[in-house]
Amino acid sequence: MSEAARGEGVRRVGGVCVKVGDHVNTDVIIPGRYLTSIDPAELATHAFEPLGRSFQDRVLAAKVLVAGKNFGCGSAREQAASCLVGAGIEAVIAESFARVFFRNAINTGLVAVQSAAAVAHITDGDEVFVNVAAGNVETRGGTFAFPAYPENLTRILSAGGLIPYVARRLEEESRR
Amino acid sequence: MNLIESILARASGKRRVQPGDIVIAEVDRMIMHDLSGYMTSRVYEEKVKQPLKHPDRVVMVFDHIFSPPREREAEVLQSNREWAVRYGIRLLDCGSGNIHNAVVREGFIGPGMVVVGSDSHTPVHGALGAFAVAVGNDCHAGMVFPHSKAWFRVPATLRIELDGRLPEGSTPRDVALWLVGQIGEGGAIYKALEFAGPFVDELELFDRWLLPLITVDVGAKCGYAEPDEKVFEFARAQHAMGHWEGLDIVPPSRRRPEEVRQYDVSRLEPQIACPPTVGNVKPVTAVAGQPIQWAEIGGHGGGRIEDIRLLARVLEGKRVHPDVRLNVVPASRAAFGEALREGLVELLHEAGAMWFPPSTGSNQNVNMGAMAAGESMISTHSRNFPGRNGSAAASMYLASALTVGASALRGCITDARDVL
Repeated sequence: MSEAARGEGVRRVGGVCVKVGDHVNTDVIIPGRYLTSIDPAELATHAFEPLGRSFQDRVLAAKVLVAGKNFGCGSAREQAASCLVGAGIEAVIAESFARVFFRNAINTGLVAVQSAAAVAHITDGDEVFVNVAAGNVETRGGTFAFPAYPENLTRILSAGGLIPYVARRLEEESRR
Repeated sequence: MNLIESILARASGKRRVQPGDIVIAEVDRMIMHDLSGYMTSRVYEEKVKQPLKHPDRVVMVFDHIFSPPREREAEVLQSNREWAVRYGIRLLDCGSGNIHNAVVREGFIGPGMVVVGSDSHTPVHGALGAFAVAVGNDCHAGMVFPHSKAWFRVPATLRIELDGRLPEGSTPRDVALWLVGQIGEGGAIYKALEFAGPFVDELELFDRWLLPLITVDVGAKCGYAEPDEKVFEFARAQHAMGHWEGLDIVPPSRRRPEEVRQYDVSRLEPQIACPPTVGNVKPVTAVAGQPIQWAEIGGHGGGRIEDIRLLARVLEGKRVHPDVRLNVVPASRAAFGEALREGLVELLHEAGAMWFPPSTGSNQNVNMGAMAAGESMISTHSRNFPGRNGSAAASMYLASALTVGASALRGCITDARDVL
Protein backbone atom coordinates (compact mmCIF):
# COMPACT_ATOMS: atom_id res chain seq x y z
CA MET A 1 0.00 0.00 0.00
CA SER A 2 1.54 3.28 -1.10
CA GLU A 3 1.78 6.28 1.16
CA ALA A 4 -0.41 8.14 -1.29
CA ALA A 5 -3.35 5.85 -0.65
CA ARG A 6 -2.79 5.43 3.05
CA GLY A 7 -1.57 8.78 4.16
CA GLU A 8 -3.05 12.22 4.53
CA GLY A 9 -5.14 13.31 1.59
CA VAL A 10 -5.67 10.65 -1.03
CA ARG A 11 -4.54 12.41 -4.23
CA ARG A 12 -3.81 10.13 -7.17
CA VAL A 13 -3.63 6.37 -7.05
CA GLY A 14 -3.48 3.74 -9.73
CA GLY A 15 -1.48 1.78 -12.26
CA VAL A 16 -2.12 -1.41 -14.18
CA CYS A 17 -5.66 -2.77 -13.81
CA VAL A 18 -7.39 -6.12 -13.80
CA LYS A 19 -10.94 -6.15 -15.11
CA VAL A 20 -13.72 -8.48 -13.91
CA GLY A 21 -17.40 -8.82 -14.79
CA ASP A 22 -20.75 -8.23 -13.06
CA HIS A 23 -21.92 -9.55 -9.67
CA VAL A 24 -18.50 -10.68 -8.41
CA ASN A 25 -19.42 -11.98 -4.94
CA THR A 26 -17.54 -12.06 -1.65
CA ASP A 27 -17.14 -15.86 -1.72
CA VAL A 28 -15.05 -15.36 -4.88
CA ILE A 29 -13.12 -12.39 -3.50
CA ILE A 30 -12.20 -14.16 -0.25
CA PRO A 31 -13.65 -17.62 0.52
CA GLY A 32 -15.35 -18.07 3.91
CA ARG A 33 -12.82 -20.61 5.16
CA TYR A 34 -10.13 -17.92 5.46
CA LEU A 35 -12.19 -15.59 7.61
CA THR A 36 -10.38 -16.44 10.84
CA SER A 37 -7.62 -14.06 9.68
CA ILE A 38 -7.71 -10.27 9.83
CA ASP A 39 -4.20 -9.77 8.43
CA PRO A 40 -4.46 -8.12 4.97
CA ALA A 41 -1.16 -9.70 3.81
CA GLU A 42 -2.25 -13.22 4.77
CA LEU A 43 -5.72 -12.67 3.32
CA ALA A 44 -4.17 -11.40 0.08
CA THR A 45 -2.65 -14.84 -0.59
CA HIS A 46 -6.22 -16.22 -0.80
CA ALA A 47 -7.87 -13.29 -2.62
CA PHE A 48 -9.73 -14.52 -5.72
CA GLU A 49 -8.57 -18.07 -5.03
CA PRO A 50 -11.65 -19.60 -6.73
CA LEU A 51 -10.53 -17.95 -10.01
CA GLY A 52 -7.18 -19.74 -10.04
CA ARG A 53 -3.49 -19.01 -9.44
CA SER A 54 -2.78 -17.15 -12.69
CA PHE A 55 -5.64 -14.71 -12.08
CA GLN A 56 -4.48 -14.27 -8.48
CA ASP A 57 -0.98 -13.40 -9.70
CA ARG A 58 -2.43 -10.76 -12.02
CA VAL A 59 -4.33 -9.22 -9.09
CA LEU A 60 -1.15 -9.16 -7.00
CA ALA A 61 0.65 -7.32 -9.81
CA ALA A 62 -2.16 -4.81 -10.36
CA LYS A 63 -2.95 -1.52 -8.64
CA VAL A 64 -6.56 -1.10 -9.75
CA LEU A 65 -9.47 -3.49 -9.93
CA VAL A 66 -12.14 -2.65 -12.51
CA ALA A 67 -15.53 -4.34 -12.19
CA GLY A 68 -19.03 -4.38 -13.62
CA LYS A 69 -22.29 -4.14 -11.74
CA ASN A 70 -22.86 -4.97 -8.04
CA PHE A 71 -19.22 -5.66 -7.18
CA GLY A 72 -18.75 -7.29 -3.76
CA CYS A 73 -22.27 -8.67 -3.40
CA GLY A 74 -22.99 -11.35 -0.82
CA SER A 75 -21.52 -11.42 2.65
CA ALA A 76 -20.75 -8.48 4.95
CA ARG A 77 -17.17 -9.69 5.45
CA GLU A 78 -14.77 -6.77 5.77
CA GLN A 79 -11.97 -9.03 4.53
CA ALA A 80 -13.37 -8.66 0.99
CA ALA A 81 -12.00 -5.11 1.10
CA SER A 82 -8.97 -5.67 3.33
CA CYS A 83 -7.67 -8.62 1.27
CA LEU A 84 -7.52 -6.29 -1.74
CA VAL A 85 -5.60 -3.73 0.30
CA GLY A 86 -3.21 -6.56 1.25
CA ALA A 87 -2.87 -7.53 -2.41
CA GLY A 88 -1.69 -3.99 -3.25
CA ILE A 89 -4.91 -2.82 -4.89
CA GLU A 90 -5.25 0.94 -4.37
CA ALA A 91 -8.59 1.57 -6.02
CA VAL A 92 -11.65 -0.29 -7.23
CA ILE A 93 -13.65 1.24 -10.07
CA ALA A 94 -17.03 -0.36 -10.71
CA GLU A 95 -20.25 0.28 -12.56
CA SER A 96 -21.90 -0.17 -9.16
CA PHE A 97 -21.07 -1.61 -5.74
CA ALA A 98 -22.91 -3.78 -3.29
CA ARG A 99 -23.38 -1.39 -0.40
CA VAL A 100 -21.62 -3.35 2.34
CA PHE A 101 -18.56 -3.70 0.14
CA PHE A 102 -18.54 0.05 -0.53
CA ARG A 103 -18.86 0.75 3.18
CA ASN A 104 -16.11 -1.71 4.08
CA ALA A 105 -13.84 -0.27 1.37
CA ILE A 106 -14.10 3.26 2.77
CA ASN A 107 -13.73 1.94 6.33
CA THR A 108 -10.51 0.11 5.41
CA GLY A 109 -9.10 3.03 3.42
CA LEU A 110 -9.57 1.48 -0.03
CA VAL A 111 -10.59 3.96 -2.75
CA ALA A 112 -13.90 2.81 -4.30
CA VAL A 113 -15.23 4.76 -7.25
CA GLN A 114 -18.44 4.31 -9.17
CA SER A 115 -18.20 5.21 -12.87
CA ALA A 116 -19.99 3.18 -15.53
CA ALA A 117 -18.48 5.40 -18.24
CA ALA A 118 -14.91 4.78 -17.08
CA VAL A 119 -15.52 1.04 -16.79
CA ALA A 120 -16.86 0.95 -20.34
CA HIS A 121 -13.67 2.60 -21.64
CA ILE A 122 -11.18 0.47 -19.73
CA THR A 123 -9.67 -2.68 -21.24
CA ASP A 124 -8.22 -5.40 -19.03
CA GLY A 125 -4.55 -4.57 -18.38
CA ASP A 126 -4.81 -0.82 -19.07
CA GLU A 127 -3.16 1.74 -16.84
CA VAL A 128 -5.81 3.58 -14.87
CA PHE A 129 -5.48 6.39 -12.32
CA VAL A 130 -8.00 7.79 -9.85
CA ASN A 131 -7.73 11.40 -8.72
CA VAL A 132 -9.78 11.45 -5.58
CA ALA A 133 -9.49 15.15 -4.86
CA ALA A 134 -10.32 16.14 -8.45
CA GLY A 135 -13.00 13.48 -8.68
CA ASN A 136 -11.97 11.81 -11.92
CA VAL A 137 -10.65 8.62 -13.45
CA GLU A 138 -7.90 8.85 -16.08
CA THR A 139 -7.79 6.12 -18.71
CA ARG A 140 -6.33 5.67 -22.15
CA GLY A 141 -9.78 6.43 -23.54
CA GLY A 142 -10.27 9.69 -21.67
CA THR A 143 -10.94 11.27 -18.31
CA PHE A 144 -14.20 10.51 -16.54
CA ALA A 145 -15.62 12.50 -13.65
CA PHE A 146 -17.28 10.78 -10.71
CA PRO A 147 -19.43 12.43 -8.05
CA ALA A 148 -17.41 13.68 -5.07
CA TYR A 149 -17.58 11.72 -1.84
CA PRO A 150 -19.51 13.31 1.00
CA GLU A 151 -17.09 15.20 3.24
CA ASN A 152 -17.06 12.72 6.11
CA LEU A 153 -16.22 9.81 3.80
CA THR A 154 -13.32 11.81 2.38
CA ARG A 155 -12.06 12.32 5.91
CA ILE A 156 -12.28 8.60 6.71
CA LEU A 157 -10.51 7.74 3.45
CA SER A 158 -7.78 10.36 3.99
CA ALA A 159 -7.09 9.00 7.46
CA GLY A 160 -6.54 5.53 5.94
CA GLY A 161 -9.80 4.05 7.24
CA LEU A 162 -12.39 4.30 9.97
CA ILE A 163 -10.33 3.08 12.93
CA PRO A 164 -7.39 5.46 12.36
CA TYR A 165 -9.91 8.24 11.69
CA VAL A 166 -11.80 7.68 14.95
CA ALA A 167 -8.51 7.25 16.85
CA ARG A 168 -7.22 10.55 15.47
CA ARG A 169 -10.41 12.36 16.39
CA LEU A 170 -10.22 11.02 19.93
CA GLU A 171 -6.63 12.17 20.18
CA GLU A 172 -7.59 15.63 18.98
CA GLU A 173 -10.44 15.79 21.47
CA SER A 174 -8.22 14.74 24.36
CA ARG A 175 -5.70 17.49 23.48
CA ARG A 176 -8.35 20.18 23.66
CA MET B 1 -40.64 10.84 7.19
CA ASN B 2 -41.14 7.10 6.83
CA LEU B 3 -40.18 4.58 9.52
CA ILE B 4 -36.50 4.37 8.56
CA GLU B 5 -36.07 8.14 8.25
CA SER B 6 -37.82 8.66 11.61
CA ILE B 7 -35.60 6.14 13.35
CA LEU B 8 -32.44 7.66 11.83
CA ALA B 9 -33.52 11.21 12.70
CA ARG B 10 -34.10 10.29 16.32
CA ALA B 11 -30.94 8.20 16.58
CA SER B 12 -28.80 11.05 15.22
CA GLY B 13 -30.48 13.79 17.26
CA LYS B 14 -31.94 15.59 14.26
CA ARG B 15 -35.47 16.84 13.67
CA ARG B 16 -35.51 15.66 10.07
CA VAL B 17 -33.34 13.63 7.74
CA GLN B 18 -33.74 12.97 4.04
CA PRO B 19 -32.36 10.43 1.59
CA GLY B 20 -28.70 11.11 0.85
CA ASP B 21 -27.92 12.68 4.24
CA ILE B 22 -25.04 11.12 6.13
CA VAL B 23 -25.79 10.72 9.81
CA ILE B 24 -23.92 9.43 12.85
CA ALA B 25 -26.55 7.39 14.67
CA GLU B 26 -26.74 5.89 18.14
CA VAL B 27 -26.79 2.08 17.88
CA ASP B 28 -29.27 0.24 20.11
CA ARG B 29 -28.24 -3.32 19.37
CA MET B 30 -25.22 -4.93 17.82
CA ILE B 31 -25.17 -8.60 16.89
CA MET B 32 -22.36 -10.88 15.75
CA HIS B 33 -21.98 -14.59 15.20
CA ASP B 34 -19.09 -16.81 16.25
CA LEU B 35 -17.03 -16.11 13.09
CA SER B 36 -17.65 -12.38 12.73
CA GLY B 37 -17.46 -11.99 16.51
CA TYR B 38 -14.03 -13.57 16.52
CA MET B 39 -12.74 -11.19 13.84
CA THR B 40 -14.35 -8.17 15.46
CA SER B 41 -12.93 -8.97 18.89
CA ARG B 42 -9.47 -9.36 17.38
CA VAL B 43 -9.65 -6.08 15.47
CA TYR B 44 -10.83 -4.42 18.68
CA GLU B 45 -8.01 -5.87 20.76
CA GLU B 46 -5.31 -5.10 18.21
CA LYS B 47 -6.33 -1.71 16.88
CA VAL B 48 -8.87 0.03 19.10
CA LYS B 49 -8.13 -0.53 22.80
CA GLN B 50 -10.89 1.76 24.12
CA PRO B 51 -13.46 0.86 26.77
CA LEU B 52 -16.63 -0.78 25.44
CA LYS B 53 -19.35 1.79 25.96
CA HIS B 54 -22.54 -0.30 26.22
CA PRO B 55 -21.70 -3.98 26.60
CA ASP B 56 -25.36 -4.69 27.37
CA ARG B 57 -26.24 -3.75 23.78
CA VAL B 58 -23.88 -6.32 22.24
CA VAL B 59 -24.94 -9.92 21.62
CA MET B 60 -22.80 -12.73 20.23
CA VAL B 61 -24.41 -15.97 19.02
CA PHE B 62 -22.43 -19.14 18.35
CA ASP B 63 -24.38 -20.34 15.33
CA HIS B 64 -21.92 -21.58 12.69
CA ILE B 65 -20.17 -23.92 15.12
CA PHE B 66 -22.49 -25.95 17.32
CA SER B 67 -19.83 -28.51 18.27
CA PRO B 68 -16.20 -27.78 17.37
CA PRO B 69 -15.08 -30.29 14.71
CA ARG B 70 -11.37 -29.49 15.26
CA GLU B 71 -9.10 -27.86 17.79
CA ARG B 72 -8.98 -24.64 15.75
CA GLU B 73 -12.75 -24.09 16.04
CA ALA B 74 -12.63 -24.92 19.77
CA GLU B 75 -9.99 -22.19 20.15
CA VAL B 76 -12.16 -19.69 18.28
CA LEU B 77 -15.09 -20.38 20.62
CA GLN B 78 -12.87 -20.33 23.70
CA SER B 79 -11.41 -16.96 22.68
CA ASN B 80 -14.92 -15.60 22.03
CA ARG B 81 -16.23 -16.82 25.40
CA GLU B 82 -13.35 -15.30 27.31
CA TRP B 83 -13.78 -12.06 25.42
CA ALA B 84 -17.54 -11.97 26.08
CA VAL B 85 -16.98 -12.52 29.80
CA ARG B 86 -14.20 -9.93 30.01
CA TYR B 87 -16.38 -7.17 28.54
CA GLY B 88 -19.72 -8.34 29.92
CA ILE B 89 -21.50 -8.73 26.58
CA ARG B 90 -24.38 -11.15 26.11
CA LEU B 91 -23.43 -14.57 24.78
CA LEU B 92 -25.77 -17.17 23.30
CA ASP B 93 -23.57 -20.26 23.22
CA CYS B 94 -23.63 -23.39 21.00
CA GLY B 95 -27.08 -24.76 20.30
CA SER B 96 -28.90 -21.42 20.69
CA GLY B 97 -29.89 -21.30 17.04
CA ASN B 98 -29.33 -19.19 13.95
CA ILE B 99 -28.07 -15.71 14.90
CA HIS B 100 -31.13 -13.79 13.70
CA ASN B 101 -33.77 -16.19 14.95
CA ALA B 102 -32.02 -16.58 18.30
CA VAL B 103 -31.73 -12.85 19.05
CA VAL B 104 -35.37 -12.27 18.16
CA ARG B 105 -36.64 -15.21 20.21
CA GLU B 106 -34.51 -14.06 23.16
CA GLY B 107 -36.08 -10.58 23.09
CA PHE B 108 -33.04 -8.59 21.90
CA ILE B 109 -34.81 -6.90 18.96
CA GLY B 110 -37.74 -4.51 19.05
CA PRO B 111 -39.60 -1.98 16.87
CA GLY B 112 -37.86 1.36 16.36
CA MET B 113 -34.36 0.09 17.20
CA VAL B 114 -31.15 0.78 15.30
CA VAL B 115 -29.66 -2.69 14.86
CA VAL B 116 -26.28 -3.40 13.27
CA GLY B 117 -24.84 -6.83 12.65
CA SER B 118 -21.73 -8.27 11.09
CA ASP B 119 -23.84 -10.60 9.01
CA SER B 120 -25.27 -9.66 5.65
CA HIS B 121 -28.79 -10.86 6.50
CA THR B 122 -29.11 -8.48 9.46
CA PRO B 123 -31.80 -6.46 7.59
CA VAL B 124 -34.23 -9.28 8.38
CA HIS B 125 -34.96 -7.49 11.67
CA GLY B 126 -36.87 -4.92 9.66
CA ALA B 127 -39.73 -7.44 9.99
CA LEU B 128 -40.08 -6.12 13.56
CA GLY B 129 -39.91 -2.50 12.46
CA ALA B 130 -36.23 -1.98 13.27
CA PHE B 131 -33.68 -0.13 11.13
CA ALA B 132 -31.35 -3.09 10.72
CA VAL B 133 -28.18 -2.96 8.65
CA ALA B 134 -25.16 -5.16 7.94
CA VAL B 135 -21.78 -3.55 8.59
CA GLY B 136 -18.23 -4.89 8.67
CA ASN B 137 -16.06 -5.69 11.68
CA ASP B 138 -13.93 -2.53 11.55
CA CYS B 139 -17.08 -0.44 11.93
CA HIS B 140 -18.20 -2.59 14.85
CA ALA B 141 -14.81 -2.51 16.51
CA GLY B 142 -13.91 1.07 15.71
CA MET B 143 -17.17 2.91 16.29
CA VAL B 144 -19.89 0.75 17.77
CA PHE B 145 -17.91 -0.78 20.63
CA PRO B 146 -16.24 2.38 21.92
CA HIS B 147 -18.96 4.92 21.01
CA SER B 148 -22.18 2.98 20.38
CA LYS B 149 -22.42 4.83 17.07
CA ALA B 150 -22.21 4.11 13.35
CA TRP B 151 -22.35 6.23 10.20
CA PHE B 152 -25.17 5.74 7.71
CA ARG B 153 -26.28 7.32 4.47
CA VAL B 154 -30.05 7.76 4.69
CA PRO B 155 -31.45 5.50 1.95
CA ALA B 156 -34.15 6.32 -0.57
CA THR B 157 -37.15 4.03 -0.16
CA LEU B 158 -38.59 1.58 -2.65
CA ARG B 159 -42.10 0.59 -1.58
CA ILE B 160 -43.10 -2.92 -2.59
CA GLU B 161 -46.84 -3.45 -2.43
CA LEU B 162 -48.02 -7.03 -2.45
CA ASP B 163 -51.60 -8.10 -2.97
CA GLY B 164 -53.46 -11.37 -3.49
CA ARG B 165 -53.78 -14.75 -1.81
CA LEU B 166 -51.26 -17.50 -2.49
CA PRO B 167 -52.41 -20.63 -4.32
CA GLU B 168 -51.89 -24.11 -2.85
CA GLY B 169 -48.24 -25.22 -2.89
CA SER B 170 -46.82 -21.68 -2.73
CA THR B 171 -45.61 -20.06 0.49
CA PRO B 172 -44.24 -16.67 1.59
CA ARG B 173 -40.73 -18.02 0.89
CA ASP B 174 -41.73 -18.47 -2.76
CA VAL B 175 -42.85 -14.85 -2.83
CA ALA B 176 -39.51 -13.72 -1.42
CA LEU B 177 -37.47 -15.78 -3.92
CA TRP B 178 -39.65 -14.59 -6.78
CA LEU B 179 -39.16 -10.96 -5.74
CA VAL B 180 -35.37 -11.36 -6.00
CA GLY B 181 -35.93 -12.34 -9.63
CA GLN B 182 -38.41 -9.51 -10.21
CA ILE B 183 -36.35 -6.73 -8.61
CA GLY B 184 -33.09 -8.25 -9.84
CA GLU B 185 -29.74 -8.75 -8.12
CA GLY B 186 -28.36 -5.30 -7.53
CA GLY B 187 -31.75 -3.93 -8.64
CA ALA B 188 -32.27 -1.84 -5.50
CA ILE B 189 -28.73 -0.82 -4.52
CA TYR B 190 -28.57 1.31 -1.38
CA LYS B 191 -32.35 1.52 -1.05
CA ALA B 192 -34.66 0.80 1.85
CA LEU B 193 -37.31 -1.73 0.85
CA GLU B 194 -40.67 -1.08 2.43
CA PHE B 195 -42.91 -4.14 2.23
CA ALA B 196 -46.58 -3.26 2.38
CA GLY B 197 -50.03 -4.12 1.08
CA PRO B 198 -52.81 -6.55 1.98
CA PHE B 199 -50.66 -9.66 1.47
CA VAL B 200 -48.04 -8.40 3.92
CA ASP B 201 -50.66 -7.30 6.46
CA GLU B 202 -52.11 -10.81 6.51
CA LEU B 203 -48.77 -12.52 7.16
CA GLU B 204 -47.72 -13.59 10.65
CA LEU B 205 -44.50 -12.05 11.95
CA PHE B 206 -42.20 -14.95 11.11
CA ASP B 207 -43.56 -15.26 7.59
CA ARG B 208 -43.23 -11.51 7.08
CA TRP B 209 -39.57 -12.00 8.13
CA LEU B 210 -38.82 -13.81 4.85
CA LEU B 211 -39.34 -10.57 2.88
CA PRO B 212 -36.58 -8.35 4.34
CA LEU B 213 -34.36 -11.45 4.21
CA ILE B 214 -33.87 -10.73 0.48
CA THR B 215 -32.58 -7.19 1.11
CA VAL B 216 -28.93 -8.10 0.49
CA ASP B 217 -29.72 -10.14 -2.62
CA VAL B 218 -31.15 -7.12 -4.42
CA GLY B 219 -28.37 -4.88 -3.10
CA ALA B 220 -30.58 -2.86 -0.76
CA LYS B 221 -29.45 -1.40 2.56
CA CYS B 222 -32.38 -2.41 4.71
CA GLY B 223 -35.89 -3.77 4.40
CA TYR B 224 -38.87 -3.49 6.66
CA ALA B 225 -42.59 -3.66 7.17
CA GLU B 226 -44.18 -1.02 9.32
CA PRO B 227 -45.00 -2.82 12.56
CA ASP B 228 -48.65 -3.50 13.34
CA GLU B 229 -50.53 -4.89 16.33
CA LYS B 230 -49.20 -8.44 15.68
CA VAL B 231 -45.63 -7.19 15.94
CA PHE B 232 -46.36 -5.00 18.96
CA GLU B 233 -47.98 -7.93 20.75
CA PHE B 234 -44.91 -10.10 20.13
CA ALA B 235 -42.53 -7.31 21.17
CA ARG B 236 -44.51 -6.48 24.32
CA ALA B 237 -44.35 -10.12 25.41
CA GLN B 238 -40.56 -9.92 24.91
CA HIS B 239 -40.26 -6.58 26.76
CA ALA B 240 -38.77 -5.18 23.57
CA MET B 241 -40.91 -2.06 23.05
CA GLY B 242 -38.46 0.39 24.60
CA HIS B 243 -37.47 2.09 21.33
CA TRP B 244 -40.83 2.67 19.71
CA GLU B 245 -41.92 5.91 21.37
CA GLY B 246 -41.13 9.31 19.92
CA LEU B 247 -40.92 8.42 16.24
CA ASP B 248 -42.35 10.89 13.75
CA ILE B 249 -43.78 8.55 11.10
CA VAL B 250 -46.03 9.92 8.36
CA PRO B 251 -48.40 7.54 6.51
CA PRO B 252 -47.52 6.85 2.84
CA SER B 253 -50.40 8.97 1.51
CA ARG B 254 -48.92 12.10 3.12
CA ARG B 255 -45.27 11.47 2.22
CA ARG B 256 -43.36 12.86 -0.72
CA PRO B 257 -43.70 10.44 -3.64
CA GLU B 258 -41.55 7.34 -3.44
CA GLU B 259 -40.80 4.67 -5.97
CA VAL B 260 -43.55 2.05 -5.72
CA ARG B 261 -43.80 -1.37 -7.34
CA GLN B 262 -46.92 -3.47 -7.14
CA TYR B 263 -47.14 -7.23 -7.40
CA ASP B 264 -49.98 -9.71 -7.23
CA VAL B 265 -49.14 -13.14 -5.81
CA SER B 266 -52.44 -14.85 -6.64
CA ARG B 267 -51.02 -16.97 -9.44
CA LEU B 268 -47.53 -17.51 -8.10
CA GLU B 269 -46.15 -21.00 -8.69
CA PRO B 270 -43.58 -22.51 -6.27
CA GLN B 271 -40.18 -20.89 -6.99
CA ILE B 272 -36.59 -22.10 -6.77
CA ALA B 273 -33.26 -20.23 -6.88
CA CYS B 274 -30.85 -22.29 -8.98
CA PRO B 275 -27.07 -22.04 -8.89
CA PRO B 276 -25.03 -19.90 -9.20
CA THR B 277 -26.91 -16.97 -7.57
CA VAL B 278 -30.00 -16.20 -5.52
CA GLY B 279 -31.35 -14.16 -8.42
CA ASN B 280 -31.43 -17.16 -10.77
CA VAL B 281 -35.05 -17.83 -9.84
CA LYS B 282 -37.33 -20.14 -11.81
CA PRO B 283 -40.63 -21.92 -11.25
CA VAL B 284 -39.90 -25.31 -9.61
CA THR B 285 -41.45 -26.99 -12.64
CA ALA B 286 -38.56 -25.71 -14.81
CA VAL B 287 -36.03 -27.91 -12.96
CA ALA B 288 -38.30 -30.67 -11.62
CA GLY B 289 -36.74 -34.12 -11.90
CA GLN B 290 -33.18 -32.95 -11.16
CA PRO B 291 -31.76 -35.57 -8.69
CA ILE B 292 -30.66 -34.40 -5.22
CA GLN B 293 -28.58 -36.12 -2.55
CA TRP B 294 -29.13 -33.63 0.27
CA ALA B 295 -32.11 -31.70 1.57
CA GLU B 296 -32.09 -29.28 4.48
CA ILE B 297 -34.48 -27.19 6.49
CA GLY B 298 -32.39 -24.55 8.25
CA GLY B 299 -30.42 -21.31 7.97
CA HIS B 300 -31.67 -17.74 7.94
CA GLY B 301 -34.57 -18.64 5.66
CA GLY B 302 -35.69 -21.87 7.34
CA GLY B 303 -35.79 -23.87 10.54
CA ARG B 304 -38.57 -21.75 12.01
CA ILE B 305 -41.48 -23.71 13.45
CA GLU B 306 -43.42 -22.64 10.35
CA ASP B 307 -40.90 -24.49 8.15
CA ILE B 308 -40.89 -27.57 10.35
CA ARG B 309 -44.70 -27.70 10.12
CA LEU B 310 -44.60 -27.40 6.32
CA LEU B 311 -42.06 -30.22 6.16
CA ALA B 312 -44.22 -32.39 8.40
CA ARG B 313 -47.21 -31.68 6.16
CA VAL B 314 -45.42 -33.30 3.23
CA LEU B 315 -43.73 -36.15 5.10
CA GLU B 316 -46.38 -37.28 7.60
CA GLY B 317 -46.66 -41.07 7.42
CA LYS B 318 -44.13 -41.27 4.57
CA ARG B 319 -40.40 -41.98 4.19
CA VAL B 320 -37.61 -39.82 2.79
CA HIS B 321 -36.26 -41.22 -0.52
CA PRO B 322 -33.36 -43.66 0.10
CA ASP B 323 -30.94 -41.57 -2.03
CA VAL B 324 -31.49 -38.45 0.08
CA ARG B 325 -30.20 -37.31 3.49
CA LEU B 326 -32.68 -34.82 5.00
CA ASN B 327 -31.23 -32.48 7.65
CA VAL B 328 -33.57 -30.61 9.97
CA VAL B 329 -31.88 -27.72 11.77
CA PRO B 330 -34.16 -25.74 14.11
CA ALA B 331 -33.52 -22.01 13.89
CA SER B 332 -33.78 -21.54 17.66
CA ARG B 333 -34.24 -23.47 20.88
CA ALA B 334 -37.77 -22.02 20.98
CA ALA B 335 -38.54 -23.51 17.54
CA PHE B 336 -37.21 -26.92 18.60
CA GLY B 337 -39.30 -26.77 21.78
CA GLU B 338 -42.40 -26.01 19.74
CA ALA B 339 -41.67 -28.89 17.35
CA LEU B 340 -41.21 -31.18 20.34
CA ARG B 341 -44.51 -30.21 21.91
CA GLU B 342 -46.36 -30.52 18.59
CA GLY B 343 -45.07 -34.06 18.06
CA LEU B 344 -43.14 -33.05 14.94
CA VAL B 345 -39.77 -34.25 16.21
CA GLU B 346 -41.04 -37.82 16.34
CA LEU B 347 -43.05 -37.51 13.13
CA LEU B 348 -40.02 -36.32 11.13
CA HIS B 349 -37.70 -38.80 12.84
CA GLU B 350 -39.99 -41.62 11.78
CA ALA B 351 -40.01 -40.21 8.24
CA GLY B 352 -36.22 -40.60 8.13
CA ALA B 353 -35.09 -37.02 8.83
CA MET B 354 -31.91 -36.26 10.83
CA TRP B 355 -32.27 -33.68 13.61
CA PHE B 356 -29.37 -31.29 14.18
CA PRO B 357 -28.82 -28.85 17.06
CA PRO B 358 -30.33 -25.36 16.74
CA SER B 359 -27.72 -23.45 14.69
CA THR B 360 -27.27 -21.98 11.22
CA GLY B 361 -26.78 -25.50 9.85
CA SER B 362 -24.98 -25.91 6.54
CA ASN B 363 -24.67 -22.16 5.93
CA GLN B 364 -21.06 -21.67 4.68
CA ASN B 365 -20.18 -25.29 5.49
CA VAL B 366 -18.41 -24.51 8.76
CA ASN B 367 -19.72 -27.31 10.98
CA MET B 368 -21.69 -29.37 8.44
CA GLY B 369 -23.02 -29.37 4.90
CA ALA B 370 -20.05 -30.08 2.62
CA MET B 371 -20.86 -31.63 -0.76
CA ALA B 372 -18.67 -33.58 -3.16
CA ALA B 373 -18.36 -32.61 -6.83
CA GLY B 374 -21.56 -33.47 -8.67
CA GLU B 375 -23.76 -33.56 -5.55
CA SER B 376 -26.82 -31.35 -5.14
CA MET B 377 -28.69 -29.97 -2.16
CA ILE B 378 -32.09 -28.34 -1.95
CA SER B 379 -32.56 -26.20 1.12
CA THR B 380 -34.24 -23.24 2.77
CA HIS B 381 -30.85 -21.49 3.04
CA SER B 382 -30.33 -18.00 1.76
CA ARG B 383 -27.30 -18.34 -0.49
CA ASN B 384 -26.24 -20.70 -3.28
CA PHE B 385 -22.89 -19.43 -4.58
CA PRO B 386 -20.76 -22.34 -5.94
CA GLY B 387 -18.07 -23.44 -3.50
CA ARG B 388 -19.98 -22.25 -0.45
CA ASN B 389 -20.80 -25.85 0.49
CA GLY B 390 -17.77 -27.94 -0.35
CA SER B 391 -16.95 -28.51 -4.00
CA ALA B 392 -17.40 -25.65 -6.48
CA ALA B 393 -18.81 -28.37 -8.73
CA ALA B 394 -21.68 -29.09 -6.29
CA SER B 395 -25.07 -27.40 -6.67
CA MET B 396 -27.26 -25.64 -4.11
CA TYR B 397 -30.94 -24.95 -4.82
CA LEU B 398 -32.97 -22.63 -2.57
CA ALA B 399 -36.69 -23.14 -2.09
CA SER B 400 -39.53 -23.28 0.42
CA ALA B 401 -39.78 -25.93 3.16
CA LEU B 402 -42.68 -27.44 1.24
CA THR B 403 -40.58 -27.86 -1.92
CA VAL B 404 -37.61 -29.15 0.11
CA GLY B 405 -39.89 -31.77 1.73
CA ALA B 406 -41.47 -32.86 -1.55
CA SER B 407 -38.02 -33.16 -3.15
CA ALA B 408 -36.66 -35.21 -0.21
CA LEU B 409 -39.60 -37.54 -0.61
CA ARG B 410 -39.10 -38.11 -4.34
CA GLY B 411 -35.29 -37.94 -4.49
CA CYS B 412 -35.38 -35.20 -7.09
CA ILE B 413 -36.55 -31.60 -7.29
CA THR B 414 -40.31 -31.84 -7.01
CA ASP B 415 -43.21 -29.42 -7.17
CA ALA B 416 -44.96 -29.83 -3.81
CA ARG B 417 -48.34 -29.74 -5.55
CA ASP B 418 -47.52 -33.21 -6.94
CA VAL B 419 -47.33 -34.77 -3.48
CA LEU B 420 -49.86 -32.80 -1.43
